[in-house]
Amino acid sequence: MKPSKLVASTRPKPKKRVRLAKSGARSQPVLPQLEPGAPSDFDLMKGIQRGDPDALSQLYDRYNGILKALILRVIHNEAEADDLLQEIFMEIWNQAKNFSAQKGKPLGWMVTLARRRAIDGLRKKQAYARAEERLQNETEQQPDAWVHNATEEEIELSDTRRLIRKVIKSLPPPQQQAIDLAFFRGMSQREIAAKTNTPLGTVKTRLELGLKKIYDGLKELKDEL
Amino acid sequence: MNFNEFQNQSRLYVIGALEPEELEEFEKERKKFGKKAEDFITKCYALHEAFALSLRPAKASTAIKDRLMSMVKAKHQA
Repeated sequence: MKPSKLVASTRPKPKKRVRLAKSGARSQPVLPQLEPGAPSDFDLMKGIQRGDPDALSQLYDRYNGILKALILRVIHNEAEADDLLQEIFMEIWNQAKNFSAQKGKPLGWMVTLARRRAIDGLRKKQAYARAEERLQNETEQQPDAWVHNATEEEIELSDTRRLIRKVIKSLPPPQQQAIDLAFFRGMSQREIAAKTNTPLGTVKTRLELGLKKIYDGLKELKDEL
Repeated sequence: MNFNEFQNQSRLYVIGALEPEELEEFEKERKKFGKKAEDFITKCYALHEAFALSLRPAKASTAIKDRLMSMVKAKHQA
């Protein structure tokens, strides 16, 4: 396995390499650790809630790469993704008062917001049909493009990402595909069934089994996720 | 619906994959299970974070941050 490094992200590198924890053994940190003295994501959210632009600037530096990747995965257009990324960080600034630490971590909140905006954007711009066509081609050429769109030699994965991908890779391709279409395309079970020519009940089962496996896998990482 | 079934539905719910008729039933059960249900749904949102982290980070245009911060500062000063 090659040494890991975040690509195109300003997030600090992890201090230690970590491995997928086995049941009952998860003493090592999973997400990259921050530099000593760096504000936590919660600190930055509090700063934004107080109206501190520097807090937003730091949060942007930390997560713009992850959020843009998510947006791109949905809309497949670089320029639109950049515009949407800006809108999303503006929404983070405007909606920060609605963030509650009791309901989860800042990154989870931001990802939820970004995903919703990206899927809305996709539909509003009526690019759905075009993206569908592209997706169709991708699906035919690379049925499991979500997790195999590049080799590990081509991508230097962060430890966290590698661990999560390992969990996802462990799913059968039809389960990966169903989850991919639901999460990154915002498709309903019926839409997935129609798109993949699969009975509705089968789609439901694939989603349930796949999500449960990922959820259970993530339990090993729960201190960080 | 028992809680195990509710958990399955919760994972579908957080990724927006419940069909309208399932959503109606889910909301009823959500009320029935109360705090236990809310706590579980909150945990399920970790799936969002995980899916985003599974992607290779992309590079945003440098102009985006400049534009964003100009807008934020202008709004902050207004």
